[in-house]
Amino acid sequence: MIAPVANGVLATDAANRCAPGLPESFCHQHEVTGCVGGNGLFCFDWAADNFDRYVGPFFRHLEIVAISVVAGFAIALALAVLSHRHRALVPPVLGATGVLYTIPSVAFFFLLLPITGFGLATAVIPLSAYTLQIIYRNTLVGLANVPPDAKDAGLGMGMSENQLMWRVELPLAAPEVIAGLRIATVSTVAIATLAFLAGAGGLGQPLYEQLGFKTNIIIVGVLTIAMALFLDLIVVLAQRFITPWRRARPG
Amino acid sequence: MSGDATNGAAEAAQALSVAFRKATKVYPGADRPAVNELEVEVPAGEICVFVGPSGCGKTTAMRMVNRMVEITEGDILVGDRSVRDRSPSDLRREIGYVIQQTGLFPHRMIGDNIATVPRLLGWDHDRVASRVRELMKLISLDADLADRYPSQLSGGQQQRVGVARALAADPGVMLMDEPFGAVDPINRERLQNEFLRLQAEVRKTILFVTHDIDEAIKMGDRVAILREGGILAQYATPAELLMAPADDFVEDFVGADRALKRLALLRVSDIDLWEAPLAYVGQPTAEVRTKLERAEVPHALLVDSERRPLGWLSESDLQNEMVPARPDISPEPVLDRDDVMRDALSDLLQAETMYAPVVDAQRRIDGILSVEIISEFLGSTEALAEEHLAVERPTAE
Repeated sequence: MIAPVANGVLATDAANRCAPGLPESFCHQHEVTGCVGGNGLFCFDWAADNFDRYVGPFFRHLEIVAISVVAGFAIALALAVLSHRHRALVPPVLGATGVLYTIPSVAFFFLLLPITGFGLATAVIPLSAYTLQIIYRNTLVGLANVPPDAKDAGLGMGMSENQLMWRVELPLAAPEVIAGLRIATVSTVAIATLAFLAGAGGLGQPLYEQLGFKTNIIIVGVLTIAMALFLDLIVVLAQRFITPWRRARPG
Repeated sequence: MSGDATNGAAEAAQALSVAFRKATKVYPGADRPAVNELEVEVPAGEICVFVGPSGCGKTTAMRMVNRMVEITEGDILVGDRSVRDRSPSDLRREIGYVIQQTGLFPHRMIGDNIATVPRLLGWDHDRVASRVRELMKLISLDADLADRYPSQLSGGQQQRVGVARALAADPGVMLMDEPFGAVDPINRERLQNEFLRLQAEVRKTILFVTHDIDEAIKMGDRVAILREGGILAQYATPAELLMAPADDFVEDFVGADRALKRLALLRVSDIDLWEAPLAYVGQPTAEVRTKLERAEVPHALLVDSERRPLGWLSESDLQNEMVPARPDISPEPVLDRDDVMRDALSDLLQAETMYAPVVDAQRRIDGILSVEIISEFLGSTEALAEEHLAVERPTAE
């Protein structure tokens, strides 16, 4: 599965020389003259001919990110709501999510492999674990910043704790919650390029198969950045939609 | 004072009395109570103001009524039911709640803010919508402001929305914690007057907290002055408070200018006026001169056949045989029977005159108000109050 990365291997056939950094297997399969043979910065023809090979991994990548972020968001939000009411939960949850955050992803994958096996779950569990800390922290900050008089008025008019949380506190904390969500989303898009190590595929797959080939690296890089920007845009638009009062102008 | 009858009918819910029965609050770890055996009875439909310096427990006392603060000892009855027997949520939905910074939900439009309690009570959509329209009208806010956000309204408008929101489910009791505290003085005055007009229509029982004694005297049917430690210093009508402060603390708190403050509570009609020496056009001046000899003022007042003041007659006006149609001296300022005494005094001082005619609603002469009458009035009741208190305390100062 993992492409052998052969550094500095030179093809023996002088006429069919493999460019430095390209795996020999790759040179056997592809045209190795011109741009590709010389491992140019970006080979347009090759990119046009081979773009198909990135479509599947791109959507797989999107799927991994979406599942991880949605799961992490749900868990972090639930933890934050719980610990907003029971402050004693804050230090242990912060500690636990902090520890999860420090586990290197590759180590995390290999720790999980014996349990969840090769596949999507093994990738999604660490990735969602990484989102917990930032979303949890931001949600707590957002809840703490809710104007005390809005809470006082809500309770004073007879809202229950739950009604206050869902009708007043969470909507008013939304800007901070979403700020956390944006960071979590973008960083998950980046870390998900390692998901192929867990057997989940994604854009890391084509990247590591031809790690020495600049065109490949650039295509994966651009696709990853585009995905991050696209998801960030969706989150920003969602924020505008759910926090219309923040754009209300006086008068 | 009385409002428009149709609006009044819409606010038909019964106002409830509120009774503090030795209500006490001790916060955990505090060495003395925040509110100490408070005994206050607020009759249904009246405004009771809690006033005092900071740390006197006035807000705590108010918040005990809707159990935002739990009672430690004693009890509070709303209507005839102890608040201790009620679930806090149910109780709070039946009690209007207005706080200083308005507490409006910034993420909800004005209409939705007003609809908060009706929705908590599960009213259907149409009933909520019509109630919101009704309240917007009651606080004279344009209907199209209903879908603005609070940040788009002025401070005064926000405060009115806060009041409308508290009135939404037609509660029997309203709690108002420094509701006009964050508004500038000019708007505060206007909001206070508006609120008093509104109260004349809706007739709620209102517990009103303020640190401003002038506001307390203006707004309160009764005023409870609290001192540090949540001890009730005096509970009385504003007039009683100004005339007979219970002790040095109350006297200090109501201020050195309490005589002037009392004038704010009086109307011109509350005081005995001088009789005006009247003169009619064409009347022989000799008659007028005789009248003047017995009068307290040096000039006769020329009135028309309806007894409406035309002006003061000068010495030269009386030189002729008959009273002339055009008097030398303008009758201004002409005071109204219903004017607040403080404003009347201010009118006199501003016009640099010692006296002025007072007229009724038909502009007919009622009598003459003078600076002398006012000062005598203040002197006499002041003396009464001193006499009354002389037994209880040594004369200070």
